[in-house]
Amino acid sequence: MPVPVDERCLRLTSEDGTAGTLLGMRCVDCDVVVFGPATFCQSCSSRELTEVELSTEGTLYSHTIVRVPPAGWPGPVPYVLGEVELPEGPHVLAEVIDCPPDSLRVGMPVALALQPVSMADVADSERVVYKWRPTAG
Amino acid sequence: MTQFRPGRDVYVVGVGLHAFGRFPEESLSDLARDAVVDALRDSGVPWPAIPVAYFGHVYYHGMSVGETTLAQLGLTGVPIINVENACSSGSTAFWQAYWGITSGVFDLALAFGAEKVPGGPVTVTAENSPARYIGGDHMMAGYALRMTRYMEETGAPASALAQVTVKARQNASMNPYAHRKDTYSVEDVLNSRLIADPLTLYQCCPTSEGGAAAVLCAGDALDAHGIDRSRAIRIAAATLTSGNYNGRGSDHSAFSPYRTEPAALQAYEMAGIGPEDVDLVQVHDAATIGELQQIEALQLFPYGEAWQATVEGRTALTGDVPVNTDGGLLAMGHPFGATGIRMVHETVTQLRGEAGPRQVDNPRVGVAQCSGAGDVTTVHILTR
Repeated sequence: MPVPVDERCLRLTSEDGTAGTLLGMRCVDCDVVVFGPATFCQSCSSRELTEVELSTEGTLYSHTIVRVPPAGWPGPVPYVLGEVELPEGPHVLAEVIDCPPDSLRVGMPVALALQPVSMADVADSERVVYKWRPTAG
Repeated sequence: MTQFRPGRDVYVVGVGLHAFGRFPEESLSDLARDAVVDALRDSGVPWPAIPVAYFGHVYYHGMSVGETTLAQLGLTGVPIINVENACSSGSTAFWQAYWGITSGVFDLALAFGAEKVPGGPVTVTAENSPARYIGGDHMMAGYALRMTRYMEETGAPASALAQVTVKARQNASMNPYAHRKDTYSVEDVLNSRLIADPLTLYQCCPTSEGGAAAVLCAGDALDAHGIDRSRAIRIAAATLTSGNYNGRGSDHSAFSPYRTEPAALQAYEMAGIGPEDVDLVQVHDAATIGELQQIEALQLFPYGEAWQATVEGRTALTGDVPVNTDGGLLAMGHPFGATGIRMVHETVTQLRGEAGPRQVDNPRVGVAQCSGAGDVTTVHILTR
């Protein structure tokens, strides 16, 4: 079975790991949503939070093309890094794939895309990683 | 908002630096010791009189490296505290020294910091972190995301961002301690290689090695220690914050300027002044965009307008709000543990009127703002 890069942030919904959903936590008391795990609401200090599946589509809040990658980066160089704003509020940082650099625009629509990634020379290191892909329109 | 209750007045009475750059022959302790000796000499306070020391550093050089460093000066049995707070480690050590004195526990304190930062992109998370798969744990990529957004929102041209580096290099060309002293044109900056679009190499601070130190003394103990009051610089505010939820949503970008605002507001309140009273400022310009957003968060310019002020020369040495007068991180370089105290060093030097060719005109109030991962912000206001 494919393994998600972080099971607290990403739930796979298909056997082959090509479909899934990002996870967040919604505050029962004030409705603020955060990406990933949380046990305490930063906004209102409530401890009543419930897991939510986040939208698989969002808009590009900002972007960069990383030419000098961080140590151990397992992907291609350069790569596009996008900060994506989801309708629920959170921003999610991830690689933007299938995106010619000159087509990058703040505000462009993107959709969740899952890809298996392995660390070079590390056994059993394949993980399914969440990324973004431009959508038509 | 007030949460601090300062007691006694506290002054910076001595500052010291080890030059910033690359020093393969020198250890972390060597860099730190030289800065400390420099600061002690500047203050006139002998080492055995120092009752407490705070050491800022990030990378691991063995346990209790502050103790082993100061042991070179002689074992005096005093408390020595090792401080790690990312890029704000040095300024956090300084903050602790201030509070140690104002609270009445100590009459004197030493704050010092040093670092030997490895080359290459700086990351925050551990090697086995899922973040390494995601590709977003990259300081300069975080700044690049801020820059793209800032340019989109404000219409700032790339040349305005490049001007931040041009200014930094001009200031550093008059500073013998700087890592990078060559001057550049806007074209040089824009034509240097891309690190993370639109950030070019010369818009990113060098990772560096260096040391910085400051000696602090209670106002009511200056005379007892024979300190020259004419060169003592008062600490009017010392604030330190970490990330807080402030209604702007979860923000993944590195060093969001929104995080600086609470520390700045607290500092102005504590000092009893406003941004209009500030004569010069040192801010965390790890990248060009950092300087613009930090001086906006310090309320020295309205949001979205710092780029225009930079183009107009208002942040240059001869401007109405000189920024990063010693070259800042962009040209001094950025040895994490030393940087925050280096900012204090420059502020004190300027307020004393001892900055030589880069002296700004008769400053009375200086601000030093330093950021660190964990959304850490320190703001110190110094006055004479």
